[in-house]
Amino acid sequence: MKNFLNSFAGFLPLGVLWLGPLGAGLLAVLYGALDEAAWRALFGHPQLWPALALSIGTGTLSLIISVLLAFWIVAGLYGGKLWPGTSGLMGGFLSLPHLAFAIGLGFLITPSGLLARVIGSAAGWAAPPQWVTTQDPYGLSLVAVLVLKEVPFLIWLISAQLARPEVSQLLRGHFRVSQSLGHGGASVWLRVFIPQILPRLKWPLLIVWFYGASVVDVALAIGPTQPPPLSVIVWSDLNNADTAINARGTTGALFLTAALGCLALVFAVLKKAILPSVWRYFTRGPSRRRTPRITSGALLLFFCAVYALVFAVLCVMSIGTLWPYPDLFPSELRWSAWSQFLMSPAPLLNSLSLALASTLAALALAVFWLETVPEKLDAALLACGIAALALPSLLIADGQYLAFLRLGLNGTWLGVFLAHLTPVFAYVFIVLKGPYRAFDPRYRAVALGLNADNYRFWSVVKLAMMKPALAAAAAVGIGVSIAQYVPTQLIAAGRLTTLPVEAVTLASGGSRPLMAVFALMLAVVPATAFIIAARLGRKPL
Amino acid sequence: MTLLLENISLTIGDVLLVKSFTISIEAGEIVTLMGPSGCGKSSLLAYIAGDLTHPMYGNGHVTLDGGDLIYLPPEQRQVGRLFQDDLLFPHLTVGENLLFGVARGSLKKRQNLVSEALASAQLEGFEDRDPATLSSGQRARVALFRALMAKPRAMLLDEPFSKLDAELRHSVRNYVFAHLRERHIPTLLVTHDREDAPAGGRVFRISNKGDMILA
Repeated sequence: MKNFLNSFAGFLPLGVLWLGPLGAGLLAVLYGALDEAAWRALFGHPQLWPALALSIGTGTLSLIISVLLAFWIVAGLYGGKLWPGTSGLMGGFLSLPHLAFAIGLGFLITPSGLLARVIGSAAGWAAPPQWVTTQDPYGLSLVAVLVLKEVPFLIWLISAQLARPEVSQLLRGHFRVSQSLGHGGASVWLRVFIPQILPRLKWPLLIVWFYGASVVDVALAIGPTQPPPLSVIVWSDLNNADTAINARGTTGALFLTAALGCLALVFAVLKKAILPSVWRYFTRGPSRRRTPRITSGALLLFFCAVYALVFAVLCVMSIGTLWPYPDLFPSELRWSAWSQFLMSPAPLLNSLSLALASTLAALALAVFWLETVPEKLDAALLACGIAALALPSLLIADGQYLAFLRLGLNGTWLGVFLAHLTPVFAYVFIVLKGPYRAFDPRYRAVALGLNADNYRFWSVVKLAMMKPALAAAAAVGIGVSIAQYVPTQLIAAGRLTTLPVEAVTLASGGSRPLMAVFALMLAVVPATAFIIAARLGRKPL
Repeated sequence: MTLLLENISLTIGDVLLVKSFTISIEAGEIVTLMGPSGCGKSSLLAYIAGDLTHPMYGNGHVTLDGGDLIYLPPEQRQVGRLFQDDLLFPHLTVGENLLFGVARGSLKKRQNLVSEALASAQLEGFEDRDPATLSSGQRARVALFRALMAKPRAMLLDEPFSKLDAELRHSVRNYVFAHLRERHIPTLLVTHDREDAPAGGRVFRISNKGDMILA
């Protein structure tokens, strides 16, 4: 009975704050899609199929390129002098949200952008070139942003796997055996390491894949327009004033999700059929090819250079109030955009309050669950968390909007908070679960043996030992919340403005310095959180 | 084939772990090297195989039939190794594990080699089995044959019997030694168990001062 009560206590707050809104959202979107006219309107949309192809194409292409580049870099650097710094560097890159990166990269590669100006001044161009870079019809600039953002994430994930003692020890043994059997480093990565690491990244890869195929804010900033990806069509439907068009948006979100689900199923079946013959191909005999250290180092350098350039150009752009083509540097530097930003601090304050509140709530919920619910139920919650992250945020946010309509939560801070909590809790739980469950229960016995009571053990010993994990989870939560565009815009219904909402509005034709300020602030808040977390994690309580 | 270790020494940082020594191992001979853990015996094998890592540092020549191995990368030395763990690749079948080190060529010929190897390992028809379904004795035999099929010119055994239970240990040991002798492969065995040394074989011990002493 006591066990049952304990479990129930763990379920209750989670059910109200997280599972409830998530489940209600999914039910509401299914219910909202019971609308034949909306489906007919969706399939009558002239751009439906090209837009779907564009969504799936950009998402899939960016995933494939990202995986290849990430493993290429890791294979060349793992075990070398640069490796220990690499994973920390990638963590730093992660704190720059996709949207901020897309805005900065846009400044670099547009026809009147910095890149064209540098080449133009060398080649003596009089006018901006006729390039089609951002918003190109094939979505290649969108793919570029996704790849540049996902590669650091994947490297970070791979390095987390390689840092696990049991994995690194096993792989070290496999490396030696493979070498003694005549295989060079590149061959070992291709035939032994990648086949063993990839299955461990199954769910993160699915999340990255679906994210790329359904992203809205980045596609609005840098994606193609004629036709746009399906996510953008759905998004403009959902934001329409006409409820019939809203309903078409709901069916569109469901259709995109179903298409992605089918694609994932086909892939899962194909994988089973194809993988054995891939491994067989890999056993056709030793290859002495060594790991590509130089190209890996060059790729890493390229990523560092792009991130540094994006950051630098955002900084200069934010104070460059007058910067005509083809000047390489602004002719007038003023802080006016910054003071304008500080004069109306609502977006920043809203973003901060939402991030702090949703992160604190997520931490409390996760710790409460981990303390009261037996470990064997973790897998079920983890599955819900993966679903919350893999399902397009378009779908979940639309469902929550429909559900919140009945509860009168749209346009309220509480409604937006609940919508943020959906992805924030999922990430916080995933980050916290491993270290928390790995806590050695014998510490408790030791502490109680030293005359500490349960509360004292928990506060002085356990929380103190969990501090690095708690701090890391908090930083991740804040980064996730700050970057939420779709749920904020939809559920705030224009009554609550945040950093990404303003940034997207400005990206469709606002003051460029102000847009740069917002993009920078999108990066500054999570970066600050990560720095504080790293400090807190090291300092004893 | 003769494996010649000439003026080999081993240091960790500034500390001399193994003083300069010379041993010649004849074809089919199994030389045993003993010593407490941390004395540098496994590192010596790593030096011969070519993957000794910082802060360990080795010196001296390793020659196989007159050719110096020291300037070759590990994958070109053709020195086979067995470890405490069998290290079979879990994502490959037994047959694919065995194919892993077989030189490129017609698939048919290579697969015939695998079938023959499995037959002599008393594991006929095991090609498509998942290594996880094998007993530890079977896994040990697959690991041995995987190493043998890469046609090693010398073998390094790094306590490969220490994780087997007492009964199995005896039979696997004799089995491994018999196959190595039959193929005339010079072998260096590292162990901390005197029992592991083949009867009548030379046994060396690394002393506290780093001297190589013939026991």
